Amino acid sequence: MRGKGAKIAGVLPLFMLFIAGTISAFDDIERLRIWPLPAQVSHGGRRMYLSGDFKLVTEGSKYGDTSGILKEGFDRMLSIVRLSHVISGDRNSSGSGGSALLQGLRVIISSSTDELEYGADESYKLVVPSPEKPSYAQLEAKSVYGALHGLQTFSQLCHFNLKKKVIEILMTPWNIIDQPRFSYRGLLIDTSRHYLPLPVIKNVIDSMTYAKLNVLHWHIVDTQSFPLEIPSYPKLWNGAYSSSQRYTFEDAAEIVNYARRRGIHVLAEIDVPGHALSWGKGYPALWPSKNCQEPLDVSSDFTFKVIDGILSDFSKIFKFKFVHLGGDEVNTTCWSATPRIAQWLKKHRMSEGEAYQYFVLRAQKIALSHGYEIINWEETFINFGSKLNSKTVVHNWLNTGLVENVTASGLRCIVSNQEYWYLDHIDATWQGFYANEPLQNITDKKQQSLVLGGEVCMWGEHIDASDIEQTIWPRAAAAAERLWTPYAKLAKNPNKVTTRLAHFRCLLNRRGVAAAPLVGGGRVVPLEPGSCLAQ
Amino acid sequence: MSPNLLRLLFLLMIFISLSITSSLSTPSPADSPPYLWPLPAEFSFGNETLSVDPALTLLIAGNGGGSPIVRAAFDRYMGIIFKHASGRASLLARIRFLRMVEYDITSLKIVVHSDSEELQLGVDESYTLMVSKKNEQSIVGAATIEANTVYGALRGLETFSQLCAFDYLTKSVQIYKAPWYIQDKPRFGYRGLLIDTSRHFLPIDVIKQIIESMSFAKLNVLHWHIVDEQSFPFETPTYPNLWKGAYSRWERYTVEDASEIVRFAKMRGINVMAEVDVPGHAESWGTGYPDLWPSLSCREPLDVTKIFTFDVISGILADMRKIFPFELFHLGGDEVNTDCWKNTTHVKEWLQGRNFTTKDAYKYFVLRAQQIAISKNWTPVNWEETFSSFGKDLDPGTVIQNWLVSDICQKAVAKGFRCIFSNQGYWYLDHLDVPWDEVYNTEPLNGIEDPSLQKLVIGGEVCMWGETADTSVVLQTIWPRAAAAAERMWSTREAVSKGNITLTALPRLHYFRCLLNNRGVPAAPVDNFYARRPPSGPGSCYAQ
Repeated sequence: MRGKGAKIAGVLPLFMLFIAGTISAFDDIERLRIWPLPAQVSHGGRRMYLSGDFKLVTEGSKYGDTSGILKEGFDRMLSIVRLSHVISGDRNSSGSGGSALLQGLRVIISSSTDELEYGADESYKLVVPSPEKPSYAQLEAKSVYGALHGLQTFSQLCHFNLKKKVIEILMTPWNIIDQPRFSYRGLLIDTSRHYLPLPVIKNVIDSMTYAKLNVLHWHIVDTQSFPLEIPSYPKLWNGAYSSSQRYTFEDAAEIVNYARRRGIHVLAEIDVPGHALSWGKGYPALWPSKNCQEPLDVSSDFTFKVIDGILSDFSKIFKFKFVHLGGDEVNTTCWSATPRIAQWLKKHRMSEGEAYQYFVLRAQKIALSHGYEIINWEETFINFGSKLNSKTVVHNWLNTGLVENVTASGLRCIVSNQEYWYLDHIDATWQGFYANEPLQNITDKKQQSLVLGGEVCMWGEHIDASDIEQTIWPRAAAAAERLWTPYAKLAKNPNKVTTRLAHFRCLLNRRGVAAAPLVGGGRVVPLEPGSCLAQ
Repeated sequence: MSPNLLRLLFLLMIFISLSITSSLSTPSPADSPPYLWPLPAEFSFGNETLSVDPALTLLIAGNGGGSPIVRAAFDRYMGIIFKHASGRASLLARIRFLRMVEYDITSLKIVVHSDSEELQLGVDESYTLMVSKKNEQSIVGAATIEANTVYGALRGLETFSQLCAFDYLTKSVQIYKAPWYIQDKPRFGYRGLLIDTSRHFLPIDVIKQIIESMSFAKLNVLHWHIVDEQSFPFETPTYPNLWKGAYSRWERYTVEDASEIVRFAKMRGINVMAEVDVPGHAESWGTGYPDLWPSLSCREPLDVTKIFTFDVISGILADMRKIFPFELFHLGGDEVNTDCWKNTTHVKEWLQGRNFTTKDAYKYFVLRAQQIAISKNWTPVNWEETFSSFGKDLDPGTVIQNWLVSDICQKAVAKGFRCIFSNQGYWYLDHLDVPWDEVYNTEPLNGIEDPSLQKLVIGGEVCMWGETADTSVVLQTIWPRAAAAAERMWSTREAVSKGNITLTALPRLHYFRCLLNNRGVPAAPVDNFYARRPPSGPGSCYAQ
């Protein structure tokens, strides 16, 4: 296969990487073209074909699949495998004597529940036999969500044979044992700066599954607009950009359900007390005053009632164990500048900074009362870290070195340092995304375990339905491998994985995802004609 | 009720309602324009709001009503109209089941008179659409689409879907400003979009996304510029080495893939016009068959001297004829640099032997290729250079496609040729510095006054050349500007030519762009000067 590729002039530079060196174990892994790279892989050199009625078999599985999550996942896997070409070959006798024909996939799941729990086992074991062996591939997993990851890997082993016009798997037998390095592998979307229609969010969720990301951080609301229906406070979505750029409560539940069935958690965020101007469109009492509209009025009980109402409604649909309360970039000058609040501060002997702390901690208590653990942006830790509830997860974005301090203090942390993992920084390259190590400088095992993972952030100032996919992909995939693959297997030099990432980008394209070229920063357009694999 | 009686009643209603509402209202929050794109030929509306049943039933009538094309389109549009979770199986819907809520529109009747599913140039795409409440005053009731062909019915369904809006307060789908009476037909029979799969390969799923999005703007021809000098992604069973010119084994279309694209397009009333651009723009052919090159060091245009060259063209066209039923086939013929012919000894000798200039040889090549296409029962389409170079020798049936010179259609129709308008200054989508209003204001019939000559302009086409457009940016480079051209080609000349388009078109185009986004099509902001740029800052879709 490599020789064939090398004939193509446009692809040549990428393949030069291999031709230059001897074929080491590392290069062999790079030839596998699986993204993210599994923890353990071995393979042979034989070829198998997928039967025309490739079946899902679940005998021996403890999981009953009454919800259909596995069956749907299997069907989705088959349809994306069949997406790139029409299968027209004779699908039942394409093997040598029929033995090279894979009849189906046997999936054995040992847990009977399909509750999507954070931190639950996502491992799987995938075996694709060689032609001499029984004609079923086998996928074993603890949970159905581990099995979904296994299906994704399986889909990447499948290729279209242009002569026989059937699906084939090369290099059988395959033995893959896999599990993620971090349990939190997130992507943030921002529906306040620009509204993202439902089909667009669903497309983002589908594309996340291809890279085995597992948390959609939904930054729902911000200064600019409040698109979500909150039944307890029905005027809040008056802050939407327009009557139609909105999500009903049912829409949000549908997104959560859609994500859950793909093994993805939805982390809802309301960013308080800053980044909340749009709340006051429906309830002006939340503003300090008409001409000083942010942060939310710290002095009014109504403010916390609304937060309580929102989180109460959230708890009915957002079943993830965490809720994100923001807490970043709080400019408190409106509080002192508003006489009523200035008086309140005075009465309670609070500085602006103390009022900020008071607000965040009170919001935390409300979230806890609804059964949530809390995630807050790092400023809350920097300003009053010792006061934060011990169930707080600190979300890094600003400072390098923060992760060390947070974990040293015993709190958990999520890494999203902006210079490497902010997708809206379009000058950030995929190599930077790949090389960004969440455990940088953290050697203590206990501290390491407090780093839940990381998240790439697709802030929406310049992102709408027209450019979100190509700004996310392929750079998010580079981070996804960092978060999934064992540290020892990650390339020290990101350029070593260029060919494999180029393949994954083209795979995304074949699946209809508008992933951008690799050459350059984010959202680059191709500069000239050429192969997808070479750009 | 007989179709003719229905039509009579309908016309009567148009007359009555036109007397109370103007057909083109100016936009303002109080009196919003009809958010339809492209604007129908004739329409009128009232001021009622009607709710649409999420369990809308399809009633079919006429010889063609039972067509699977109609059924599949109805199902597609149900998914588009009721895409909010609460719209499909909400509590409201369940209550209605208990007869507590009555919807105003519970069925959509589609009447198709002809049972022919033949899709060719000039197929009747007209339709009438009526939406009104079922009550004592109304003679029609509910929603009805009537068309002569299934393809007219598809256009009517698109319009119907644009009337339907999800209302966030009642959480139901509503039709505002009813009753609606729409009688519509396209101004031009050929409304095309070119895609280029040689400069960048476009996966099947992406081509399908493009086709689907075309149907939203009522475009009806996908001009598939399959092959060019950079790559040959297409399987040709007669000459199986040709697709060795593909960029890679992953960047190829099988015969079955192409048939699937044609089938998918037909289900949406869209013809696929294939192009094989000869003799220039064909270097990639020689990757599989180096004999097609004049020499190893001089590879373009195709070798005019060899019978083999024309055998290969004949083989390609024979294979393609089985895939592409559209009566038009594009043979290219543009930008032919004949230096290689002059500089290659055996070609030079051949020219001398026939007493040919290189221009004579260019003509010889194009005309011979035309004869091959005609022998396969195709009408040849050629780029305008063939007309400017040797117009009088072209087959009289040739359709000339303009791109370079602004008055070429004028000249071509004066000589009796048919013409497709694609002026590069305005309708080349890869020209990123042409904003929507310049696309919109470009008139294919400019300078052609004689009605009989106007008829020879079969339509126009926006061209998405692929040098800097791959899967990651193709849709946002096409949309929303292609929609501006689509309205120019569909709506009446009067409707698109008079008035201030900032008031008559821009608000509707904003709306249509957001509609595309809501349907998952990544149409770029309307207001940016340069195409496919990100939004300049946070804001509403309708204001960018």
